[in-house]
Amino acid sequence: MTACSSCSSKPTLHFSTMQTANGKKHASGKKPPKISALIQPYRGLVMLLILLALFANGLTLVLPRLIAYGIDAYGSGHLEIKPILIWFSLTTVFIFIFTYLQNIVQTYASERVARDLRTRLADKVSRQSYARVQEANPARLLTNFTGDIDTVKLFVSQAVASIASSVFTIIGAAILLIHTKWQLALAVLLIIPLITMTFMMVFGRMKALFLKAREVLDWLNKVITESILGAALIRVLNAQQLEYHKFLTANTNARDIGLSIMRLYATLIPVITFIANMAMVTILALGGHFVISGGMSLGDLAAFNSYLSILIFPIILIGIMSNVIAQSSAAYQRVQQVLDMPDAVDAGTIQARLRGDISLQHVQLQYEGKPVLKDISFSVKAGSRTAIIGPTAAGKTQLLHLLSNLSQPNSGSIQYDDHEITAYNRDTLHTQVGLVFQDSILFNMSLQENIAFNDTVTPEAMERAITTAALKDFVDTLPQGLDTVVSERGTSLSGGQKQRIMLARALAIEPKVLLLDDFTARVDNHTEQQILQNLAQYYPDLTLLSVTQKIASIEHYDQIILLMEGEILAAGTHQELMQSSPEYVQIYQSQRSTNHYELQSK
Amino acid sequence: MNYNLNSPAHTAQKTSTLAALKKLFRFLEAEQRTLILAFLTIMVSSGLNLTGPVIIGYTIDHFIQHHDYQHTLLFCGLLLLVYMTAFGANYLQARIMGGIGQRMLFTLRNAVFGKLQELPVAFFNQNKTGDLISRINNDTDKVNQFFSQYLLQFVSNIFLMVGAGIFLVSIHPSLGGAALVPAAFLLIFTRLISPWVRRKNAANMKSTGSMSAEVQESLNNFKVIIAFNRRDYFRKRFDQVNKENYATAVGAGMATNLFMPVFGVCAQLAQLIVLTYGIYQVANGNFTVGLLISYLAYVNSFYTPIRQISILWANFQVALAGWDRISQILTLQSDLPVLAGASANGHSHTDTVMEFKDVHFSYPDSKPVLHNVSFQLQRGKTYALVGPTGGGKTTTASLIARLYDPTEGEVMLNGKDIRIYEPAERSGRIGFILQEPFLFTGTIRDNILFGNEQYAAYSNEQLAAVIQEAQLESLLARFEGGLDTKVLTTGDSVSLGQKQLIAFIRAVLRRPDLLILDEATANIDTITEQLLEKILQQLPDTTTRVIIAHRLNTIENADEIFFVNGGEVTRAGSLDHAVNMLLHEKRES
Repeated sequence: MTACSSCSSKPTLHFSTMQTANGKKHASGKKPPKISALIQPYRGLVMLLILLALFANGLTLVLPRLIAYGIDAYGSGHLEIKPILIWFSLTTVFIFIFTYLQNIVQTYASERVARDLRTRLADKVSRQSYARVQEANPARLLTNFTGDIDTVKLFVSQAVASIASSVFTIIGAAILLIHTKWQLALAVLLIIPLITMTFMMVFGRMKALFLKAREVLDWLNKVITESILGAALIRVLNAQQLEYHKFLTANTNARDIGLSIMRLYATLIPVITFIANMAMVTILALGGHFVISGGMSLGDLAAFNSYLSILIFPIILIGIMSNVIAQSSAAYQRVQQVLDMPDAVDAGTIQARLRGDISLQHVQLQYEGKPVLKDISFSVKAGSRTAIIGPTAAGKTQLLHLLSNLSQPNSGSIQYDDHEITAYNRDTLHTQVGLVFQDSILFNMSLQENIAFNDTVTPEAMERAITTAALKDFVDTLPQGLDTVVSERGTSLSGGQKQRIMLARALAIEPKVLLLDDFTARVDNHTEQQILQNLAQYYPDLTLLSVTQKIASIEHYDQIILLMEGEILAAGTHQELMQSSPEYVQIYQSQRSTNHYELQSK
Repeated sequence: MNYNLNSPAHTAQKTSTLAALKKLFRFLEAEQRTLILAFLTIMVSSGLNLTGPVIIGYTIDHFIQHHDYQHTLLFCGLLLLVYMTAFGANYLQARIMGGIGQRMLFTLRNAVFGKLQELPVAFFNQNKTGDLISRINNDTDKVNQFFSQYLLQFVSNIFLMVGAGIFLVSIHPSLGGAALVPAAFLLIFTRLISPWVRRKNAANMKSTGSMSAEVQESLNNFKVIIAFNRRDYFRKRFDQVNKENYATAVGAGMATNLFMPVFGVCAQLAQLIVLTYGIYQVANGNFTVGLLISYLAYVNSFYTPIRQISILWANFQVALAGWDRISQILTLQSDLPVLAGASANGHSHTDTVMEFKDVHFSYPDSKPVLHNVSFQLQRGKTYALVGPTGGGKTTTASLIARLYDPTEGEVMLNGKDIRIYEPAERSGRIGFILQEPFLFTGTIRDNILFGNEQYAAYSNEQLAAVIQEAQLESLLARFEGGLDTKVLTTGDSVSLGQKQLIAFIRAVLRRPDLLILDEATANIDTITEQLLEKILQQLPDTTTRVIIAHRLNTIENADEIFFVNGGEVTRAGSLDHAVNMLLHEKRES
C-alpha cells in the first residue's frame, strides 16, 4: 500500500492545479482530499480484497517452482510424478477460488463505494439553495453523478487490488530471483527502474492531453444536450446541418486529441516490451554463462525464464494503474468539491401559521453586478389581492423568487406577518407560500404525483386543487385518470393544461399566500375567469399576489403595482392609477380595445 | 411511429455477437487498406515475438547444454536483432491500429449525432433527455474505450494466440493437441456465457440511463423541488434509482468477472498437461529437456494472450451491450420522408398558401387530437386560431410546419403535397415561433442567426442595418449588450418574455411566406406586443400570418378566425362569434 499512496500523490498534485484553473479554488492552504480517504469506511472490505489478491498471486508464484522441481528431478533421475500432480492441481484450484472471490469482493466493494458516494452527493445537492445549484451548473452536476463517480469507482475496482498484488508479486519474484542466482537477478531487476522511467516520461506528457480531452468531452456533451433540448426549434428552422457542423468541429477536436494520446501510447508499450525482452537476452547470455561455468542449474535457467514473465506484467500494471489513480483522484476531487459545499443553513425557527401580511422594505437585488430590483418597498394585507404589472424583464419573476425564498435580496427586508422571511423555518414557509411558475415544469411521473408534489397533501386538498384549476373535466377524459404518466416535454398536454397542473400543484399544499407568475398567459379567458371564481370560492382567505399582463382581470384588485426596470413606478387601485400614472394609462390603452369582450365574458 | 427506445418492441431485439460485429465493422469500410497494413505489421510482430522462445530453446539445447559459450553469445546477438525488429513492428502496429480505433470512434459518433438530426420531433418527445444523453455519452464511451484502448491488444493477442497455437501443434502434434484441450473448453465456455454477460451489462446500462434521466430532470427543475419543499422526495427518488443501479451493476460485475479466473485455471491446467505428458515423452526419448523448457514457454505464450483476451473479452461484451443501445438509435428511420417523384419546383401562383384536406391526427398511444379537419389559408391574410387549452391549436400549427405528418388526409403547401418539399425549402417558406422558446448557449447574434445562412457572414454593423430595416432594432435595444449579449441554455439570466423577443426577431429576419406564432407573445407586455403587431403588419403583402393567442387584442386584427376545439377546426364569422363560441361551446379538452 505504501507504493500505492506514493504513486497517487504526484498526479493528485497536478490535477489540483487544474481545478484552480477552472476557477473553483480550494480554500488556500487546505489540501485536496486524498482518494485513499474515500475507502476508509470500507477498510474491512478493502483489507479482505487485498488479502485475497495476495493469496491468489502468491500461489501463482509457486507454479514455476513446481515445474522447475519436476524438470530437475527428472534430470537427476528420481522423479515422482504423483506428488507434483497433486500439488499442482491443489494450487490451481486454490488460485481459482481466491481469484474469483477477489473479483466478487472487488465488484461488491467498488459498487458500494459508488452507491454510497452517489447517495452522499444527492443528499448534499438536495440541501443546496436554488442559486447554488444554478451556479454549480446542473450539467456539470450530472457529470459528477455519472461519469465522475464511475471513474472514482475504478480506483476500488481496479487499482487497489492490482497494485497490492503487483507489488507483492514483484517483491516475491525478486526474492525468488535473488535466491536462485543473485548476480543474474540484479541484472534482470534493472528493468524495474527502466520501465518506471519510461512510464513517468510518457505520462508526464500525457497529462496535458488528458485535460484537453476532458474539456473537449464537455464541449461535445454541451452540443449533444442542446441539440436534444432544442430539437423542435432545430427542425422548424431546418438547422440540422448547422448542428451537425457544430458537432463535427467538436468531434474533430476530440479525434485529434485522441490521436495525440494514442501516439504516445504507441511508443509506450513497444518500449516496455523491448526493455523486458532485453532482460530475456541478458538471462540467456549471462545465465548461459553461469550454466556453462557450473554456477547454475538448467532448471534454474528455466525458472528464471518463467519468473521474468511473471515479473513483467505487474510492472506494466502498476504503470497503467498509476494513470487510473491519477484520473480517479481528479474525479474524486470534483465530487468532493460538491460534497464540501456548505449546506444552505436554515436559521429560521418560526413555525407558526401565516396570516398572510407581506411587507417589503428597500429591497435591492443584483444579478451578475447588474441591478434587477432597486429599492422596492410595498406591503400587502392578509387576504387581499395584489397584481404586479410591467414590461418584459422588469424584475417581476425575480420578485416572486424573493418572496418564496428561492433567492435572497442583496439588501433590504422582506417580512411575513412582521417577521423577517429568514426567521421562518424553511419548510414552514414553503408549505404555506405556493408559487406557480411561469414555465411549465412537469416531472416524468403520474399526474397524481405531479400535483401532490408534497407528501402532506390530503385527498380533499388534492380534490379541491384539481377542481379549482378547472382540471376535473380533463382528468376525467384520461383513461387512467390521475395515474396517467406525463412526460417532461409531454406532447399530449397543451400549454394551458400544463399551466393549470402547475396551479393545482401550488394549491394542493393549501397555501396561505399564492404567488402567480403570468399564470393566465396560456389559459383562455373563459377558463381564466372560471379559475379566478373558483379561487375566491374555495380559498377565500388566500393572500394573492399575481404577476400579469392583463389589466381587465385585475381592475378590481386591492392593489396594483406597476414595475418597470426594477423600480416601482406607481402603486394603488385601478382608479387611483388611472388618475396618477401615465404609464399605467398607456398600458390600459394598449388593451382597451379588447375590454368590450372581456366584460362580456364575466 | 413508436420512437420510445425503452419500449419492449425496441429492447426485445436480440442480436448475435457476430451480427453486431458485422454492423460495427461497417464503420471500418474506409480503412480497408490501413487494415491490411495493420494486419501485416501484427503478423510480423507476432511472428518475431514467437521467434524469441525458439531461439532461446535452440540456444539452450545446442549450445548451453554443450558448453559452447561462443555460439551462445552469437545467438544472443541474433535474439537482440529479432527483438529490435519486433520493437519497430510493435510501434508501427500500435500507431496504425490506434489510428483506426480513433477514426472509427469519430465516424461512429458522427453517425449517431447525424442520425439524431435526421429524426423527427416525435423521437425527442418520446424519450427522456437524460436517457438520450446517457446513451450518446456513456454508451458510445463504452464502445470508445474498447476501440481506443483494447482493440489493438485484442487483435494482436488473437494473433499471438493463433500463432503460438500453430507452433505448439506443428512442433509436437500430440503434445500440442493436449496443451490445447483446455483452450477448447474455454471456447465453449465463452460461447455459452457471453450472451448472458452482455444481457447483464445491457441491464446495467439501462438503469444507468434511468438514473441519468432522474438526476437530469431533478437538477434542471430544482426550483420546483425547493419551492414545494420536496428535497426529501428528490433524495427518495434518487435513492431508488441508485439502488437499482447498484443491483444491476453488481450483477453485471459478477458476470463480467467470471471470465478471468476460469481462463486462469485453464492456462495452469495446460501447463500441468505439458509438464506431465512432456516428461513422459522425454522419458520415451521422443523429446528433449531443452525442447520441453521452450515448449513450456510456448504454452505460456499461448495462454498469456488468452488471459489478456479474457479481460478484453469482458470489455468487449460491455462494448457490444453499449453498441446494441446505440444501434437502436441508428436503425430508426424518420417517419417524415420527402416524397420522391413529384417536383416542388415550378412555383405555382395559387392564392391558397396552405390547405388541410380531411386531416386526422393522433399522437402515438393516445386519443385522436384532430379529426377530419379541412381549411384553406390565403396568401397575405392574417388568421387567428382560438379555442380552449388542449383543443388542438398547437397540433394544427405543428402539422402546418410538418413537424408531424397527418395520420390521414393531406396537408398542401402552395397547392402541392407538403411532403414533396425538401426540408430546406419548406422551412424557408414556413416560419414557426414555438410556444416554448429555446436559446442556445452563445450570444444573441448566434441565436437570431441560428439556421439563417443568408446573414451568417454579415458583420455586426451590417446585421444591425438589416435589423433596422426590418424595424426590429427597438426589440434588440432591450438587451444591454446588444447582439453580443451572452445567453445560456439553462438558468434565469434571460426572462421568458425576452426569449420570446429573440424568437420573434429570428423568425421575422427569415422572411417566411407563412409565419405561425404559437402563443409567441404570451409573456410579453401589451405595449411591446403592440410594437410586435406593427412589425407584423409591415411584413410583405404576400406574407400569411397564423396567430395562436388567448389575448383578444392580439387576434382582433385577424382577417379570419378559426375556432379550434375538441379536435375540430371551425370558421368563426366574426370576433364576436369566436368569443361566443369560446364562452358557450362545450369544452372537450
